[in-house]
Amino acid sequence: MSTELIKVTINEQEFEVEKGAKLIEVCREKGFGIPSFCYYGDLALQASCRMCLVRIEKMPKLQTSCTITCTDGMIVTTQSEEIEKAQRAMSEFLLANHPLDCPVCDRGGECELQEMVMDWGDLEERFVERKNAQPEKFLSPIVANDPQRCILCKRCTRVCDEWMGEEAIEAGNRGVNTVIGTYGGWLGCSQCGNCIEVCPTGTLLDGVYRHETRPWEMDQTRTTDVYSSDGMQLSIGSRGGEVHRIVARDRYVNGLNGEFLDVKARFAHGFINSKDRIKTPLIRYKKGGKLIPSTWDEAIHFVGSKLKESGNNVGVVASSRLTNESIFTLKRFATEAVNSNNYAVSDAYDLAPFFDNLSAPLCTHKEIRHAKTILLIGGEPEEEQTFTAKQIRQAVRNGGAKFIVVHDTPIRLAAQASQFIHVNKGSLDAFALAFADQSDATITKKLGAAQTEIDDLLKTIGETEGDFIIMFGGDLSAEAQAVLANVAGSFASDTRRALLHPLPLYNNSVGANDMMAGKKPLEEVLRTSKALLIAGSLPEDKTDLLANKDFVVVQELFETATTEYADVVLPAASFAEVDGTFTNNAGFVQRVRKAIEPIHQSKPDWVIASMIARELGADFGYNFSSTMVFKAIADSVPAYEGLRYPLLKDESKPVQAKYSPVAKRDLSNEFAALRRKVEALPETSEKITETPRVGHKLHRVTTMTGKTDQFHLLAAGNPKPENLLVSPLVQFNLDGTPRLVEMAEAASVNVKDRIDDKETVASKVVLK
Amino acid sequence: MATAVPTDFTNQVVFTEETATFSPEVIEEMRSHLTKYPEERKRSALIPLLFVIQRERGYIDNPGVNFLADFLDLEVTDVWETATFYSMFNLRPVGRHHLQICKTLSCKIMGEPEITEHVCNRLGIHPGETTADGKFTVSLVECLGSCGTAPMMQNGFDYYEDLTVEKVDKILDSLK
Ligand code: SF4
Ligand code: SF4
Ligand code: FES
Ligand code: FES
Repeated sequence: MSTELIKVTINEQEFEVEKGAKLIEVCREKGFGIPSFCYYGDLALQASCRMCLVRIEKMPKLQTSCTITCTDGMIVTTQSEEIEKAQRAMSEFLLANHPLDCPVCDRGGECELQEMVMDWGDLEERFVERKNAQPEKFLSPIVANDPQRCILCKRCTRVCDEWMGEEAIEAGNRGVNTVIGTYGGWLGCSQCGNCIEVCPTGTLLDGVYRHETRPWEMDQTRTTDVYSSDGMQLSIGSRGGEVHRIVARDRYVNGLNGEFLDVKARFAHGFINSKDRIKTPLIRYKKGGKLIPSTWDEAIHFVGSKLKESGNNVGVVASSRLTNESIFTLKRFATEAVNSNNYAVSDAYDLAPFFDNLSAPLCTHKEIRHAKTILLIGGEPEEEQTFTAKQIRQAVRNGGAKFIVVHDTPIRLAAQASQFIHVNKGSLDAFALAFADQSDATITKKLGAAQTEIDDLLKTIGETEGDFIIMFGGDLSAEAQAVLANVAGSFASDTRRALLHPLPLYNNSVGANDMMAGKKPLEEVLRTSKALLIAGSLPEDKTDLLANKDFVVVQELFETATTEYADVVLPAASFAEVDGTFTNNAGFVQRVRKAIEPIHQSKPDWVIASMIARELGADFGYNFSSTMVFKAIADSVPAYEGLRYPLLKDESKPVQAKYSPVAKRDLSNEFAALRRKVEALPETSEKITETPRVGHKLHRVTTMTGKTDQFHLLAAGNPKPENLLVSPLVQFNLDGTPRLVEMAEAASVNVKDRIDDKETVASKVVLK
Repeated sequence: MATAVPTDFTNQVVFTEETATFSPEVIEEMRSHLTKYPEERKRSALIPLLFVIQRERGYIDNPGVNFLADFLDLEVTDVWETATFYSMFNLRPVGRHHLQICKTLSCKIMGEPEITEHVCNRLGIHPGETTADGKFTVSLVECLGSCGTAPMMQNGFDYYEDLTVEKVDKILDSLK
């Protein structure tokens, strides 16, 4: 990137700025306020609101600063009577059809229109004609819509198009009749809610949070997403111990993801304050008996005495949703309190083969956005690592990157690909082998792809100047991951960096791998231990293995299939109630902050583990402060050396753990195992031709997402209700079958009546 | 003071998955439009194709939109956006003769209100409505680029210019 400097004069002061900088950004950076609505740094230019007017010498008329690139010697005025007059006029036009009832609008208090008008507009309205009144309605269970508040900045449609690649929401009609909406009136998209986030007015509204409280009454807590491994930064809005909403609005938080979040990160927070949370410790005194509420003292004492009986036959399992602090403490629990090497992470996708063979640096999301070539092998980022998917889309769309997808399923993201290598069902391993060992051309037979396709791919990589990124996830076998991670480094050259990006499934999969060095496979731990301490729940297909155990302790938020086997259940605190860190798929160690006090009697997982440890006579050197836990992590995990909470304070400058690429290892064993696997693949196999439906993973109802009612409707196929004016939650049962039709009808008649009344009254006034 | 264009079509469309079918000749015609544009810019053919749909199906109906979205690899909402923007595309059935009266400035000054009043009175409908026999639909549209001969209206692709009440009567009489 060239950093040639040029001179511009703004309001008679001279500045040196980078060539190609946008005028509106420069002015704001230098402290000259410029109002704007349609301008949004990360999106294509629109220039429809005309609030950002400035005078530029030698140019006729006022210019929109959002579309102007600075040139050498440019002389700009941002404030004058002429400009002010124009801006006042513009804001008056914007308000011409806008209801002046901010007190009942859900965006009131954090509305850009409100702020701009207070700062730059006229507070008195001259417009007396009838307004184009329209009722508030629903576009989906998640997106509520109040069309009359729209100022047609089209941020929402651009976001949907450019970030999400969905084009689900567009502007229909024209002139004064323009509305933002969809064909058919219903949004069947992934429901990311980014359109809600970027809307500067109260037109698109969060259907989960709507009318719950007001923005200024909430405390905002910056923290990290608990669902996806992208580690998106967000802000929890809470009031009086209750979490009301989650946003990524840039006035509250400024993380790697900007204002981007996905449907789970933004809306699936209902579990935090769910009435189903486990309230007190529960003990099952007799196998087959009932879980009986108890006190912490008694439960810890009970657990301690039972674990002592089991000697060192105790296994420890941690969920990869927990904080680094909790997972680290659980590992210490295994090695120090019960002297056992039986510890595991309850995540089917083991990252160890990846990190043990890391031959190239991990890439950040910013590097994805500016990459030149991206190779995606398996995985489905648009459903699992949504922010990674967004960065890929923009790299292709705005950066012209080459994007190659290797997959057995035509995933939606493949539509953006410049090359799609459609391999046979389940033969991604064969691709890994063919890619790593190009000498053996027979492998392609198993692949269901032609050798020329692989040659094309290698040619593209060979021609790449800049960043080349390889991404893959858990649908490759462990050997294939090891081989790929190990071969990646060899693609680097003087003009090309090779970077790796894993695609783990959980928010702290990477951290779990770091914290639990030496972990064993989950099944092995479950089979060989007599007693178990399990933090979080096991995958449902593994719970059978818990039958016939001497003693099982589970730390959980909810009663699940795993707690059915538990002898003791201890209430754990959710991510919104604890301090700690998560490590994302770019290796960034990011803070998790306590937004509310632990609900009921729950405690952070690491506190519970250290309480039991103390009962068993082990002391970790920390009991109360997660700061001390993190210090212990930094002292014993090499990649985290020297890290402290204060260094992680600023979410806009995330800190990467130091994974040192390993020297190329001898992988002949892995290669041999991989070759055996590939040889066992059938030569002919039918291909998957169907593109998976939007949201087939995102909208799944799980223990956590299921506590937000809207997800049940989404999972049931997001049915369109008869009546768009009434919440779909009133019109459907949670399984998507219709309900209370009469009630919905009655409610809508009322709304329509009110509007018709208003119209007749208003038109009489106008006609008179 | 009736409005010609309902502000929101969205609630009225009963959305179905049904896709329209066309004869091979029509498909061929649609393909021929595609050849005018670069392959990766297929969507540029949207407007000519909307005209074809309108001619074949009478108006831009739901199955037609579904067909186009498929044909051009677009989302239905993309098609909706374009179709609703232009007044020459009808999103609802129209009569045999679709009278589109220009209501923009020049025509307004030169007597559009009188013409509209007369046409509507004679047909007994409001702008935006269709006569019971399905013969006429009246719409008010934006400037049709014939300001020099204002006031004017359009029927299908024919322009009627320099309108007066008498002239309108003759025109209406002549339309079958
Ligand atoms: S929720 Fe997301 S995908 Fe859906 S319309 Fe809004 S931006 Fe587009
Ligand atoms: S809905 Fe919001 S973001 Fe979209 S155009 Fe209207 S004001 Fe802008
Ligand atoms: S911000 Fe420049 S025109 Fe809207
Ligand atoms: S104003 Fe009627 S044709 Fe232009």
